[in-house]
Amino acid sequence: MLHNLLTIFPGIGTLFVQDPVIAFTRIGLIALGFVLAYMGFKRTLEPLIMVPMGLGMMAVNAGVLFLEAGKIGTLIIAPMVSETNALVEIMQIDFLQPIYNFTFTNSLVACLLFMGIGTMADISFILARPWASITVAVFAELGTFVTLVIGYYLGLSPAEAAAAGTIGGADGPMVLFAALVMAKDLFVPISIIAYLYLSLTYAGYPYLVRWLVKKKFRETEVEYDFPEVSQQAKFIFTVVAAALLCLLLPVASPLILSFFMGVAIKEAEIEPYQELLEKTITYGATLFLGLVLGVLCEASTLLDSRVFILLILGITALAISGVGGILGGWLVYYVTKRNYNPVIGIAGVSCMPSTAKIAQRIAFEASPHAMIMPLAMGASICGVIVSAIAVGVFASTIGLVGG
Amino acid sequence: MNIIAYAGMAYLLTAVISFAVIAVIVGISKFLSNGSSGQ
Repeated sequence: MLHNLLTIFPGIGTLFVQDPVIAFTRIGLIALGFVLAYMGFKRTLEPLIMVPMGLGMMAVNAGVLFLEAGKIGTLIIAPMVSETNALVEIMQIDFLQPIYNFTFTNSLVACLLFMGIGTMADISFILARPWASITVAVFAELGTFVTLVIGYYLGLSPAEAAAAGTIGGADGPMVLFAALVMAKDLFVPISIIAYLYLSLTYAGYPYLVRWLVKKKFRETEVEYDFPEVSQQAKFIFTVVAAALLCLLLPVASPLILSFFMGVAIKEAEIEPYQELLEKTITYGATLFLGLVLGVLCEASTLLDSRVFILLILGITALAISGVGGILGGWLVYYVTKRNYNPVIGIAGVSCMPSTAKIAQRIAFEASPHAMIMPLAMGASICGVIVSAIAVGVFASTIGLVGG
Repeated sequence: MNIIAYAGMAYLLTAVISFAVIAVIVGISKFLSNGSSGQ
């Protein structure tokens, strides 16, 4: 009788057949999926990612059934299949398999998101204070490099440690790209941890900024003016910067091309494309990113001892990058004889436009006259560029370690 | 290469390339604005 019941309800039946550790992890992940989706609903975490991710996580761990030849699996996705014939067959069965193989494993989804980010980036913001913005952005990349070293000493390979370190750039698509290029085995946990922590960043960074910058400095008013730059000039240096970076870092050329194409479309004012990228492509890619990340959270995938290390590395990377950004802000503050608000440093962590908004909000809390948004956006855009360069440098040179 | 030396080198390389890109952007901006003001 019980056997029949378990056959009728394989989602429950498989829990009694599987290794108890996997079975309990499945139950834990179903609960975690619910918590993530609910926190997305409450806006505690980023809803655009967390609602589809939480639902995906619940479904993939609940909807387990007996497949042919006594195997246990789902009808959603089979990420470990790589043999061509098996892959063609599984694509006709698992509904998210085509999305995973055609947009995830080749980083297309990260590039699509980058095109959307590009359309949000206005080069004019950089030109208001270019050297200050890039200085802050370089400092705000500190977590990436410190985490590389910590990760290596915690037992990860250099490439895995570098991929985990890129969480310090606080740029979701970039982390996805780096993990796919350098640590394919860990790309699922690295990406999930990155997006989870990035959602928490919005809540944590304001405390960090208030701790490192006293109120009298947070209210610093900054003088700046935008140089008059024609649309033509902005378009030309967008194209030249893209070509230069592709020339220097061919490994990161898909990301560089995607980002600068977004910028170029914006500067060329091709409105149908701009609208397509800003809305349809960005939100479509974000939806499938969240959903696929969720369904990749199978118990067996996450039961990896390295996941605990990644949890530590992710938070370390983001914390050190935040501190680095503020340090950069202080440096510019003193070099420019106090004509800079150190709070802008946090915007160098390239989570665009979230960290720029955090900086402006904190400055406004201190003084309603402290208008720093344009400079914060400049630092954030520079942060995206520096993160892309860091990933390109890692991917091109990580082989030098231990050689 | 030792990991600490590598991290330092990679950070330096990232910084140099980043400043170079900004230098190009600023350079083109100045060049084009000079060109248009001279006309």
